[in-house]
Amino acid sequence: MTTSHPGSLLTAHDLRKAYGPTHALDGAEFSIHSGEVVAIMGPSGSGKSTLLHCLAGIVPPDSGSITYDGRELTKMSDAQRSALRRSEFGFVFQFGQLVPELTCVENVALPLRLNGASRKDAERTALGWMERLEVDDLKAKRPGEVSGGQGQRVAVARALVTGPRLLFADEPTGALDSLNGERVMELLTDAARSTNAAVVLVTHEARVAAYSDREIVVRDGKSRDVERAI
Amino acid sequence: MNTRQWARDLAVGARFAVTGGREGWVRMTLTAVGVGLGVALLLLCTALPNVFAARHKVEDARYDYTYSDKVPPKADDTFLIAATDTVWHDVDVRGRLVEPEGKRAPLPPGVDSFPGKGEMVVSPALKELLASDGAKLLRERLPYKITGTIGESGLIGSHELAYYAGASGLKLTDSSPVHRLTGYGKPDATPEKTDPVLLLMVLVVFVVLLTPVAVFIAAAVRFGGERRDRRLAALRLVGSDSHMTRRIAAGEALAGALLGLVIGSGFFLLGRQTLGSTELLGVSVWPSYLDPSPGLAALVAVAIPIAAVLVTLLAMRGVVVEPLGVVRAAKQRRRRLWWRLLPPLAGLTMLYPMIGKGHENGDFNQYLVIGGVLLLLIGITALLPWVVEAVVVRLGKGALSWQLAVRRLQLSSGTAARMVNGIAVAVAGAIALQMLFTGTQSQYTKATGKDPGRVQMQVDFSDRKPLSGVEREFTGTKGVRAAVALAISEYGDARRNPENSNGLTVGGCTALRELATLPSCKDGDVFVTRTRSHYTSSSNADEIAVLKPGRKLYIDPSYDDATERGIEAPWTVPANVRVVDAREDSLQDANSLLVTPAALPAKAVPALFSDGVYLRLDPSVPDSREHIRNVVARIDPLARAYSWSATEEDVKYTSIRTGLLVGSAFVLALIGASLLVSQLEQLRERRKLLSALVAFGTRRRTLSLSVLWQTALPVGLGLVLATTVGITLGSVLLKMTRTPVAMDWASVLTMTGVGAAVVGVVTLLSLPPLLRMMRPEGLRTE
Repeated sequence: MTTSHPGSLLTAHDLRKAYGPTHALDGAEFSIHSGEVVAIMGPSGSGKSTLLHCLAGIVPPDSGSITYDGRELTKMSDAQRSALRRSEFGFVFQFGQLVPELTCVENVALPLRLNGASRKDAERTALGWMERLEVDDLKAKRPGEVSGGQGQRVAVARALVTGPRLLFADEPTGALDSLNGERVMELLTDAARSTNAAVVLVTHEARVAAYSDREIVVRDGKSRDVERAI
Repeated sequence: MNTRQWARDLAVGARFAVTGGREGWVRMTLTAVGVGLGVALLLLCTALPNVFAARHKVEDARYDYTYSDKVPPKADDTFLIAATDTVWHDVDVRGRLVEPEGKRAPLPPGVDSFPGKGEMVVSPALKELLASDGAKLLRERLPYKITGTIGESGLIGSHELAYYAGASGLKLTDSSPVHRLTGYGKPDATPEKTDPVLLLMVLVVFVVLLTPVAVFIAAAVRFGGERRDRRLAALRLVGSDSHMTRRIAAGEALAGALLGLVIGSGFFLLGRQTLGSTELLGVSVWPSYLDPSPGLAALVAVAIPIAAVLVTLLAMRGVVVEPLGVVRAAKQRRRRLWWRLLPPLAGLTMLYPMIGKGHENGDFNQYLVIGGVLLLLIGITALLPWVVEAVVVRLGKGALSWQLAVRRLQLSSGTAARMVNGIAVAVAGAIALQMLFTGTQSQYTKATGKDPGRVQMQVDFSDRKPLSGVEREFTGTKGVRAAVALAISEYGDARRNPENSNGLTVGGCTALRELATLPSCKDGDVFVTRTRSHYTSSSNADEIAVLKPGRKLYIDPSYDDATERGIEAPWTVPANVRVVDAREDSLQDANSLLVTPAALPAKAVPALFSDGVYLRLDPSVPDSREHIRNVVARIDPLARAYSWSATEEDVKYTSIRTGLLVGSAFVLALIGASLLVSQLEQLRERRKLLSALVAFGTRRRTLSLSVLWQTALPVGLGLVLATTVGITLGSVLLKMTRTPVAMDWASVLTMTGVGAAVVGVVTLLSLPPLLRMMRPEGLRTE
């Protein structure tokens, strides 16, 4: 059972989702405030990624409600959810999922261009974010030519470039060594906090979860808050 | 590096292919099916020369015609035979009336026993047709009882419509189409010399059809290649060096190619049976005709595995497989143009010595033709990657979908070019051949001088038929608007062995008006035309001088050297004979003397031969031609009824053209299938990325458009290159045949349009899977 705070940016209640006979979510609860970093933890196959996908409106739940900024996500059309993801959400995935044929700066500028920004403006803004994430020297390189840590920082820049109110990060350091992972988490959380963006962070590493303000554990499709010792 | 090492690495690769789990099997099956389709088509193509030879052999074996003046006497081993060919809804029906004159009369090929009077033996296809509901009119035309079927040895294809009907009392006269023979078969089986231009066409058709198949096979051995490359990284981790890795990859492709050979042989056998039971563009064959020549089949069996290994090794040059599962495209070098220009230039060099040869100056060197055309077409596959790279590197700005597509092409222009290679080669070849066909068409198509707008059908009777009443037989027939009948005979200035003799044409006023401009006409009038007809402008002054009023002449005079005696009917040129002008558009190359029936003495009537009944049809009446043929068969089974057409094409020329059409349809379908597989494979590779792009809000339309651009750009460039090479090759071929080079833009546009349409269809077919792959569920890993 998670605690629902009044004034939450995103709240989910009694979420259920099954893939065939497997119940990925079985009454999960979730809430997050602006500027908050919440880590979703749990073993492999526990349903944490499914919870993130449902919260982000990527996958519709079978039942339950998700309220974002007073709007019911489950009642929105696919086009409306896509528009929301484009304008108010940001995403970082485990392997970055950068478009291999685009240069790094073009990758970062991609969400802005999807929102209709001109190429020039989009790339100027993108370069600003790349500087903040210390990867501006990679602007002309393609993802295949940069290291995993660098690529993931480019992916973080791409997630933040639209100034999202909510950032979803699914195992953002899963493919990185500890040093690179820590650097990416520092940059990600610092940048998010500086813009008052909330971060939903899926991870199975306690070291990564330590960057969050609050932790939720998902097990067998159910979620519960974790009390922290310190 | 030694051979054993090579063999060991290839064997390891082959083992990986079969033990690679589900994914490995899927990849190998995909390669094998692709290679198999190519192999089947190659085997079918190599069997084609045998098809023509086998059909030709049967045609020769059942030949039942003689041009000899010497008629053998009736004997125990002679038979009478007459052609009664007909047409059923534009399909030829080969028919014969046959009458054995003795017990030892030889049977026609494929026939077990002579049909009796009122009976017939038929081909299986005709039997089936006659039994069908829609063949009522044909059953009326062939009112014989079916007593047997004609075997394979008597038919040129499984779908040939043919019959032998039993007859009695066939008359062997000078004018009838009945022949007395002692056997079947062409007496002078010396092969006729093939027109060098037609031979050139056959060679080019073969190369044009087979080159895209070879290109397709090269693409097929790389199906699933990207996925395989990633897996090979694991081998590097356990100590395999980069050369070994490449050889192992080649071994995997080799396994697919070998399985492809087996599957291809299966496809071929299946196709052989299927083709044996179907008909394409009016051509059917027997499965036994489709036997590939052993040498070519052996070449296919050896060349394909070798090609699989070489293509994979070449492809792997651009890939750096590193340990730790990291695979990066090797630093791409800019493609160089100079060596890519060598194949087409070498091709042109090979063809150059044959320029200006034409029909008269001997045969074209087959090896130079094949080599030259092949190099020119293969040149496209060498040039296209350079062209795509050179163009896309200059592209950039534009909508997001455009940018995604252009960047993708910049990153892997080789993959895009490979996808289009097959289509480009096929289109280039088709354009060149179309130019050759169009350019030489006039040499193989002759104007008949007949105007199908005026007369749609003509009936020629087999023997003397009384003129009166013939028209009436047709005017009552369904779908006949008008019928005019003409008859001919001969007149001379003496009863026997006349010094001056000429032909005369007899017909009613309506009929004669179709031949000459008559100021007025009534039955009993006689006319002489100033010129014979529009066919010849020579003056008729000599004949006009003979045909003076009161001059006594003899119709059907006798000759001492003729087998039959003439009627010798005396006739005096009447006083009302008038000189008129032949019509420019006369129905036929008529005689100068035109006579209405009442102007002839009754004694002359048996001397008249029917010279055709000309029919004008009502196009709104269905089956009018079939009704007419039925009337003709009833009046005179040996008569010929045929439709008028303005032009007539050389049969060989037409069959080469038909062969090209059939082959092109197969090749394009094959290339379309290969394109679809490559497209789907690329999409599958990008499934996760597509899902991620959709996750952060990318519109599906943007991604669909980017896929469309990604295909359209290389296809557009490929077609431009194909058009250039096609026109170059077409021009060279026309110059070789000494035909003026003229551009047939309609054909060029049609061919490029067909190529573009294939790609369009493939893109459309790949859209549903693309949309499915864009679902966010693709992000799931568990």
